[in-house]
Amino acid sequence: MKKLLTAAAVGAGIIMMMAPVVQAEELHFVMCGGEVREADQKVIDTFLANNPDVTVNMEAVPWGTCQDKSMTLAAAGDPVSLAYMGSRTLKQLAQNDLIVPVEISEEEQASYQPGILNTVSSDGKYWGFPHAFSTKALFINCQLIEDAGLPCVGPKTWTGLYNMAKAVKDNTGIAGIGLAGKDFDNTMHQFFNYLYSNGGSVINADTNEITLNSPQTVETLELYGKLLDVAQEGPTAFERSQIKALFNDGKVAMYIQGPWGRGAHKAGMKVITVPVPAGPSGVSGTLLITDSIAVFNGTGHEDTAMELARALSSGEAQYDLDSSWGLTPIKQYENGIVDKPYYENDDYWKVFVDPIGSGGPEPMFVDFKSLQTSINSMIQGMLLGEDSAENLVAIAAEELEEFK
Amino acid sequence: MQLLRRLMPRKGLHSTKFFAWVLIAPAAAYMCLIVAWPLVETIRLSFTNSGLGIEDYVGFANYEKLLSSRKFPDTIGRTFYWMFLSVGLKLILGLIGASLLAANLKGKAAFRVLVMPPWIVPIAIGCIGWLWLYNGHFGILSGVLQNLGIIDGPFEFLAYKNSAFYSAIVTDVWIGTPMITIFLLAAIQNVPRDLYEAAYIDGASRWYRFRRITMPQIMPMFASMALLSAIWTFNSFEIIWILTEGGPRGGTTTLIVDTYKTAIANYKYGQGATRAVLIVAILAVFSLLYLWLVNKVNKKYGDEK
Repeated sequence: MKKLLTAAAVGAGIIMMMAPVVQAEELHFVMCGGEVREADQKVIDTFLANNPDVTVNMEAVPWGTCQDKSMTLAAAGDPVSLAYMGSRTLKQLAQNDLIVPVEISEEEQASYQPGILNTVSSDGKYWGFPHAFSTKALFINCQLIEDAGLPCVGPKTWTGLYNMAKAVKDNTGIAGIGLAGKDFDNTMHQFFNYLYSNGGSVINADTNEITLNSPQTVETLELYGKLLDVAQEGPTAFERSQIKALFNDGKVAMYIQGPWGRGAHKAGMKVITVPVPAGPSGVSGTLLITDSIAVFNGTGHEDTAMELARALSSGEAQYDLDSSWGLTPIKQYENGIVDKPYYENDDYWKVFVDPIGSGGPEPMFVDFKSLQTSINSMIQGMLLGEDSAENLVAIAAEELEEFK
Repeated sequence: MQLLRRLMPRKGLHSTKFFAWVLIAPAAAYMCLIVAWPLVETIRLSFTNSGLGIEDYVGFANYEKLLSSRKFPDTIGRTFYWMFLSVGLKLILGLIGASLLAANLKGKAAFRVLVMPPWIVPIAIGCIGWLWLYNGHFGILSGVLQNLGIIDGPFEFLAYKNSAFYSAIVTDVWIGTPMITIFLLAAIQNVPRDLYEAAYIDGASRWYRFRRITMPQIMPMFASMALLSAIWTFNSFEIIWILTEGGPRGGTTTLIVDTYKTAIANYKYGQGATRAVLIVAILAVFSLLYLWLVNKVNKKYGDEK
């Protein structure tokens, strides 16, 4: 009996050793924003159905900690397979060999809106698949403008913007414009909307030369100093979502927001959306800001992760996401991808789509956190009246040299 | 006892020493693991440019950069000001609170419980409450000041350097005072009653009794609390971080907040470690001061007199 049992055990062991080894691949996918959107989930489900040996461990993490999590895991030698995160992180990750460059076919490249690929390129390579895109516009509460005795027509220039905001402040006592000044990413983003509408720039992507210290930046910062008198009290305590709350409460007449603003405002408000007014040295522009899917280095299944990332950002899948989420179209879907895209012949979307060509990208810096710190410090210095615009711009430009 | 005898050394001093080392080895290993190793690693990191995916030795470059930074002297000055002001207020309010709670009032047990919540409530929850209070447009403080006619419009307490700094101090004092109150109350209750009775019979006033009996008697506890509170306040991070994240424009950035921003938020682990080493050095000096001062106080007022 004992011999029989021993023989059975040995036999079972041999059979197990001879059985074909099926090595399942598990992709760890970090999705910044705290949720996995239905459009993305659909693509992931299809991908899993086509690749039965692959599993995808989705982890939706809020924006506040998401990028830090993915970057720290990569630095610690335990990278996630792929992550949807802000494109501003890509250069730093690329320089430290933590992500792999992605191949985007010429056909795919041609399908993107102008300027989009600049937000993910560095050293002649693409470091992520652009997956979400936004431009910005000025939202105006017409009720407050009319209460101030003005017709609700969007201002075309900074002078017009200031005059309108001042009229609201003087005649109603309500803040004419909302300014973001808290130490937060959208404080910097808001500033870039004005800067790009005044012909300014931060860095020359081709030469890597800092171009911030220019008359255009000084003029933009001076505009902030001027708007301070007609903005909400204490802008340095506000970031964009808090200004949105004030706008909804009728405590701010105008503010800059992305296309999702339409769905975020109170029902029944009479709101118009117009392009960001042009500065004295430029034409109306916008910040072109994207989030991307990056594939991390050192996981052993970069190719599989790349395949999933490509599927998520391909034509119709990407259209599903943009249209369902209400984002500025990241691709020119009208060119053979979709028959009648959601933004075509739509006055609201025209405001967000038309300025794409004149917009500027979110600057690619190796140390993007320090970029934000320096730009926000410059803005706060103006809002707190601590220095002249010229000095603040010069200091920020000098600091940026270290972070590019 | 039999077991101990069996374990005890049989041959000479050498074995005794060995046995002593065996006894302290677990504690020593534990200390090495949780204190010594992280400390040594932090010191080592401070001599590197450690960041995302890189780590090379850079000598004293991080220290030179830190000490030549134009913001660093402000940060150090602000940290000490934050510490002295906050600790001073906590001690004064704690002493007043302890004296009042020590009074023989009806329902004093209830008052003693009521003083605890700021200490018991999780700091994050308390700070979020204060965030609402300080909000200029929706907060109660700004609303009350407007209703009283003291200000003519909303005031954002956290939007300006000075008001943000003092607002953070108020929150820190609110959170830190109950513990000092309870400890000082315990010290006051240990003061022998016959001292007060003798002074009362001699005609000493209430203030005189407080000054000449209560204060000297609780001085060892008072000194200990002062220095412990100084160390905790110096390293107080979460209150500032939740309220202002060190802003606006660095107006509430203390050394510990600067360290977090550098090492964790900006991924500059080497430079962050340099700041951490500096904090250890400063707190080591404080610890020495603490031991020296407590020793002095004990000699002057305590049992050794």
